[in-house]
Amino acid sequence: MPPAANLQSPERLLVPVRTRLLWTVAGFGALLVAACLLAPLAGSTHISLARVFDRSIPYADNIDAQIFFVARLPRVLAAALVGSALALAGVVFQALLRNPLASPDTLGVSAGASLGAMLAITFDSGVTLLGLSAVPLASFAGSVGALLVVYGLSVVRRRGTSTMVLLLGGVTLTALLSAVMGFVQFMADFTQTFRNVRWMMGSLDVAAYAPLVAALVPMAFAWAGIATLPRVLDLISVGAESAATRGVDVARTERVALVSASLATGAAVSLAGPVAFIGIVVPHLVRLLVGADHRLVLPGSALFGATLLIACDVVARTAFAPLELPVGIVTAMIGGPVFLWLLFRRT
Amino acid sequence: MKRVLLIVVLAVAAWLVARAPLSAQRGPVSTPQRIVSLVPATTEMLFEMGAGGRLVGVGSYDRFPPEVATLPRLGGLLDPNIEQLIALRPDLVIVYDTQVELRRQLERAHIPMWGYSIKGLADVTATVRTLGERIGMAPAANASAARIDARLRAVQARVAGRPRPRTLLLFGRESGSLRGINASGGYGFLHDLLELAGGTDVLADVKQAAVAMSTEMVLARAPEAILELHYGEPWPDARIAAERRVWSGLPSLPAVRTGRIALLAGDEFVVPGPRVTLAAERLAAFLHPVQAR
Amino acid sequence: MSPAFLQVDHLSFAYERGAVARPVLTQVCLEVARGSVVGLLGPNGSGKTTLLRMMSGVLTPNAGTVRLDGQPIARMARRDLARRIAIVQQDTHSTFDFSVLEMVLMGRYPHLGPFELEGASDVALARAALRATGTAAFEDRRFATLSGGEKQRVVIAAALAQSSELLLLDEPTTALDLKYQLEVLAVLRSLNTEQGVTLVVSTHDLNLAAALCQRVVLLKEGQVIAHGPTSDTLTAANIRALYDVEADVQLHPRAGHLTVVPLAAGR
Repeated sequence: MPPAANLQSPERLLVPVRTRLLWTVAGFGALLVAACLLAPLAGSTHISLARVFDRSIPYADNIDAQIFFVARLPRVLAAALVGSALALAGVVFQALLRNPLASPDTLGVSAGASLGAMLAITFDSGVTLLGLSAVPLASFAGSVGALLVVYGLSVVRRRGTSTMVLLLGGVTLTALLSAVMGFVQFMADFTQTFRNVRWMMGSLDVAAYAPLVAALVPMAFAWAGIATLPRVLDLISVGAESAATRGVDVARTERVALVSASLATGAAVSLAGPVAFIGIVVPHLVRLLVGADHRLVLPGSALFGATLLIACDVVARTAFAPLELPVGIVTAMIGGPVFLWLLFRRT
Repeated sequence: MKRVLLIVVLAVAAWLVARAPLSAQRGPVSTPQRIVSLVPATTEMLFEMGAGGRLVGVGSYDRFPPEVATLPRLGGLLDPNIEQLIALRPDLVIVYDTQVELRRQLERAHIPMWGYSIKGLADVTATVRTLGERIGMAPAANASAARIDARLRAVQARVAGRPRPRTLLLFGRESGSLRGINASGGYGFLHDLLELAGGTDVLADVKQAAVAMSTEMVLARAPEAILELHYGEPWPDARIAAERRVWSGLPSLPAVRTGRIALLAGDEFVVPGPRVTLAAERLAAFLHPVQAR
Repeated sequence: MSPAFLQVDHLSFAYERGAVARPVLTQVCLEVARGSVVGLLGPNGSGKTTLLRMMSGVLTPNAGTVRLDGQPIARMARRDLARRIAIVQQDTHSTFDFSVLEMVLMGRYPHLGPFELEGASDVALARAALRATGTAAFEDRRFATLSGGEKQRVVIAAALAQSSELLLLDEPTTALDLKYQLEVLAVLRSLNTEQGVTLVVSTHDLNLAAALCQRVVLLKEGQVIAHGPTSDTLTAANIRALYDVEADVQLHPRAGHLTVVPLAAGR
């Protein structure tokens, strides 16, 4: 009998994960590099690059250099840090809570950071530490406080319960913290209220490198934790029990995910205030491009979140020059319609 | 059928009750003796023209003159306590243009009110005059307004002809850093005071009362003098020195080179009332220090 | 006497809801010999799913032990356990849009290092598993877009890809068309006879149990009421005791195994 012709089409050549990972990082990485190079050149004031790097002019006299190195460059770096932190946190929370609508704000960490900042602004004490003003320090402390509450919830949970407890706890905590913030607003005077409201709109104008370095400390821990997560997030997002039967330590993974994503969120919000939509929209956009595999989505989101926020910040500071829009408004105006479009697509 | 009729009658009765006025009809009184002023500016104006004794209630933010401490406090611009206010049986309530809700409630209660708004410095003396007329103290009010005008003109005269430094006037920023700078724009009584006191507003072209300034904007505008105003008690010297040092992050600013940075506290900068003269004098003292002979 | 491959000793479990404890399993004992196919039969609520979850190590009993080759699974490392035991559960819901192949490749996780990516051999195994369950054509489709039966077959393929010695299946054929029921039956049978995989199958389908399983365990209200070789244990009397149903059990000449025909519900 002659060998049977292969009636099935030959098996598709599957692009291996390694190759796709390389392309993902290279592609989004190139975008980010371009953004980092171009963004400091954009702004409401015209500056000349030649003057910026002209060593013969003493720094104290070089306005162009100061605009570049004090006003713009820290901003671009802050945008990259905050954008990537929020996007990463968004991916991790969506997998942890098994909910594609989850975001860094869902579990109340963002609200904790906002409350901390608000208290520091209202009880303006003028305290500074290591070149940092009280506001980002109090903000980060607030985020850690919220994390402790949520962490306690996750540890107290009995075996076999769903993420519903975590979600409900987070929503309740957010509501409670919002009520406390309302109370603080009520007790504050005009100028403090104005400053609180402005802070809540988000701003990347850090004007110094110390806050960036400070934010890198919790971010380093967050990155270390998130680096262990990509494959297990895939498994957990299909079901905690099926992940357990495949050898995943689900409880430990959930704790690492919770703490890492919360540290990233706390670092981002204490640096720039709450910036809307990056954490919820970037993961979905990246998944549209690279698929659902977290080994691609995590690095892709980190890089794309940074790029997107850098771009939004350029819009924020050039659209109504010389005035600036708070960056949170730009992200909401872009992120909102994009998110609605994504929702329509799903149904 | 009878039941339906009863329901209709009750419904009509309820509607009529809801529309009934809260108190007896009252026409405007030409010399009101029970005045309520919820905003510090008008409270100070009333005391300055000698009508302080006629006040029966003030707002929560009123701090000057000391006599206000004895008067009942009725809330602020945004949240006046209506019940308490009505219970005082005022015959005139001074309302600001934006207090729409309050005006509506006072109308329903048939309590006379008098509205005003202050957009620029000139409105301060204008308000003094019209307020005085309304309460039947026109001569005293006009004299008060004249005094204010005279002091302002004196300041203007003193600094006339001097070079006008480009000045950045700001209400606040995050302590210890240059974030969240909230500056006074080219509109409003503070802007007018600055120009009167012999300074050029770096934000004169931005027609807003408050401007959120970015670092780039500050560097681009290169102010020669920086004046920070803050609400509340004056800060201790150590804190003032520390806050002034924060500006050294922007060494290209002429104000930083020459050290022409001041932090001032005082209600006169936020209350567009008779004490604007004090504000003008303090601004001028900073911008154009009196030369020692 | 060598210990059985899988040994369940006096397993007890109760769900605690406040002060009231609802017992789910009471003193369950059973043995599964290496290379055998054992069926778990019983009505809804009898504790079959809970028992399977305990055998896989996902759920911890209140009392009793589960041993694999004499070693308590509670003391085994998770990864090692996952390499040896795989479970097919009833409901699988994917939060994100994974493809069918991606879902099956997740079954390879226990065999890979922490940061190791799947290689060509892993992909080949996954594809073989898809072919075995007749789902190779769906390789690129989004898992969420499949029908219930197609999803079930993919989940079985994922468990096959895990290349385990012991495969636990919870109602593997309930959602399937007749044709695919027979196909899955054939796959499981060949898995057992050709590759020596031990199977424990929980099912409602008495005929499936009769066709596939060498031994059956009858579970009622958390307790084992009968166990033994299928031919001896799957009797009308036992079916009456378990399901309160009158049934006729005959050896079918063409099928080559017992068949059960339900006749009437109990008195």
